[in-house]
Amino acid sequence: MPILAAEGLTRTYRIGSGTVAALRAVDLALEAGDFVVVQGPSGSGKTTLINLLGLLDRPDAGRVLLDGRPVERMDEEERADLRRDRLGFVFQTFSLVPVLTAAENVAWPMALRGAKELDARRRSLELLERVGLGGRTEVRPDLLSGGERQRVAIARALANEPPVVLADEPTAHLDGEAAESILDLMAALNRERGVAFLVATHDARVVARAKRRLTLRDGRFDSDGPAAAPAPAPAPVRGTGA
Amino acid sequence: MRLWTFAARNIARNRRRTLLTLGVVVFGFSAIALAGGFMAQSLDGLAESTIRSGMGHLQIAPPGGFEDHGLEPGAGLEGSDRIAETLRREPGVAEVLPRLEFTGLLSDGRRSVPFLGLGVDPAPEAKWMETPGALEAGRWLESRDERAIVLGVGLARTLGAKGGDGLTLLSTGADGTLNAMDAVVTGIVHLPIKELDDRWLATSLGLADELVGASGRVTRLVVVLEKRRGAEAVASRLESRLRAAGFAVEARPWEALAPFYRQVRLLYLGIFGFMGIVLVVVVLLATANTMMMAATERTREIGTLRALGTRPSLVRGLFLREGVLLAIAGSVLGALLSLLVRVILNHSGLMLPPPPGATRAMPLHVQAYFVAYAAGAIAMLVTLTLAAWLPARRASRIPIVEALTHV
Repeated sequence: MPILAAEGLTRTYRIGSGTVAALRAVDLALEAGDFVVVQGPSGSGKTTLINLLGLLDRPDAGRVLLDGRPVERMDEEERADLRRDRLGFVFQTFSLVPVLTAAENVAWPMALRGAKELDARRRSLELLERVGLGGRTEVRPDLLSGGERQRVAIARALANEPPVVLADEPTAHLDGEAAESILDLMAALNRERGVAFLVATHDARVVARAKRRLTLRDGRFDSDGPAAAPAPAPAPVRGTGA
Repeated sequence: MRLWTFAARNIARNRRRTLLTLGVVVFGFSAIALAGGFMAQSLDGLAESTIRSGMGHLQIAPPGGFEDHGLEPGAGLEGSDRIAETLRREPGVAEVLPRLEFTGLLSDGRRSVPFLGLGVDPAPEAKWMETPGALEAGRWLESRDERAIVLGVGLARTLGAKGGDGLTLLSTGADGTLNAMDAVVTGIVHLPIKELDDRWLATSLGLADELVGASGRVTRLVVVLEKRRGAEAVASRLESRLRAAGFAVEARPWEALAPFYRQVRLLYLGIFGFMGIVLVVVVLLATANTMMMAATERTREIGTLRALGTRPSLVRGLFLREGVLLAIAGSVLGALLSLLVRVILNHSGLMLPPPPGATRAMPLHVQAYFVAYAAGAIAMLVTLTLAAWLPARRASRIPIVEALTHV
C-alpha cells in the first residue's frame, strides 16, 4: 500500500472572472523509500500538487490517501495532526520561525506532539548534529546562512520521524555548494532511513538524484517512470546517526 | 518551548509597536485605578461626612421610629438610659448619643417659623459630630447652659436672629397640650442641606424633654462605632441583643438612613462606569489595531506553523496568550505608575470644590483602592483578550496555502 497517494486530483483557481486549472485529474502513488522528483515549468502545478498531497489545501475533485485513508472529510484539527505525525515539509524559503533558535525550530513539531521538553530538546540536538549543525543549535535563523537554514528545515521535517517528506524547490535559494550538500543529506536520509521524498523542482541537480522523475505540464503528468539515469552516489552525511 | 515563552518572544520582536500597545494598556489601567481611587476617596469622605453630620454609624429607635410619619408627641424609647448603657458595653461601640427629636414653632414675638428640633447631650455631640463645629456665629451648647438653643443659618436668617437673642419655642407635649418656652440663641451653625438648614434647631436634652414632656425618654440613640465597615452587621447584632434583653427597639445602619449617600454613590458608579467603558473601548480599538498589524506581518509564519501541524486552536491560543501577557505587563506597569501619580497628587496640595453634601473644599486625595486596581487588571485582561481574538481567529482560519504565499 502506498504511504501517500493521489487519485484524480484536480484543483482549479479562480483568477479574476476566469478559472485556471492547476491540476487535472492527477494520479500518483508514493511508496516507502521513494525519491520522486516532480519537474515542470513554472505554473505547471508542482506546488499545487505538493500542497494537496501535504494536506495544506483541498482538491476540487479527486482524493488524497495517507496510509490508505482518505483525508478529504477530515476537519482542520485532524489534518493538522496528520501533517504533524506523518508528513515533513521543506519549503523553498526555509520558513523557519524567526523568534526560535535552530534547536527550538526543530523541537516545535515534537512539542506539538506532546513530547517532554527535555526529550524534544535532546532529539532536536541529535537531528541538528545529523544535518551538520551541531555547533549552531542556539543560533536564531537570521544569523544562519541559506544552506544552514535549509538544513534546519530538513531536521525539523524529520523531527517526528515522518515516513514522507515533501519538499518544494528546496535548493532554489541556495548556491551550488549548499544545494549539493542539502541534496546529499536528503539522499542519505532516503537511503539510510527509508524516508520517502517527493520533491518539486526546476533544479537539474535535484532531478539527477531522483529514483523516479515526473514531469508536470499544464496540470498533467507528461511521463512517469524511473529516472533515466541512476542518481550519483551521495556524499557522506556529517555527524552521527539520528 | 513553552507556549508562554513563544508568545513572550513574539511580543518582544517589534519593540516599538509593543511599547505603543503597552503604553495604551498602562494608560487605561492607570486611568481606571486613579479614577477608582478618587471615587473611593470621595465616597469615603461623603460617608464620613454623612456619619459625622449627626447620623452616626447606626441608630436605635422604638418600633416604627424609622417610618416616615415618625413618632407621636412624647413617644420614645422605653428605658433609653439602660439601653444606652447596654450598648456602651458592646464591643466596637465608641459612644452612644441620645437624641430627642421634636417639632414646633419658633417665634420672635412677631413671626413664627416651623422648626425641626433636636435635643442632644452637648459635650459628646461636640466630640463626635461635625455640626457643632460648623459654627457661623456664637458657640455650641454647653451642659451648664440653661434654655439655650443653636439655630441653622437659614432658620436664624428667616427670623433675623443672632447670638444672645431671646426666642420662644412652641411644641405639642405628650398630653396634647401646646407648650411654650423661652430660650436664648447661643450659636448659629451651617448645615450642608439647605432644607434642613432652614428649619434646624438644637438644644439640650433637658430643655427638649421639658418642652415635649418626654419624661426622660429619647426618640433615638445614635451609636458611634470604632469602625465604619460592617455597620450593617453590627446593627443587626445589636438589635438582636437588645430585643433579647427585653427592649422593644429597631436598629438601622447609617446607609439605610442616608438615601442621599446611596444616590450619590449610584451617581458616582454610573459616571465612573461610563468612563470605564469609554476607556476600555479606546484601549480595545488601539490595541486591536496594533495586534492585527502584528498578526498580518506574521501571516507567512502562521502558515508555516500550521503546515507543520499546529492545530488552529493552538494558533488561536498563541495569539490570545500574547494578549494576556500584554495585559499582565501593562497592568503591572500601570499599577506602579498609578501608585507614583497617586503620591504626587496627594502631595500636590490641590483643593477640590466641596463634594455633594459637603460644605467645605477638600484636598485632592486619591486612595490606593484595591478594588479599582483589580477592576483595572480585569478590564485590561478582558480588553486585550478581545483585541487578540480577532487576529487569533484570522490566523487560525486563513487557508494555509494563502498564508504561505502572503507577501
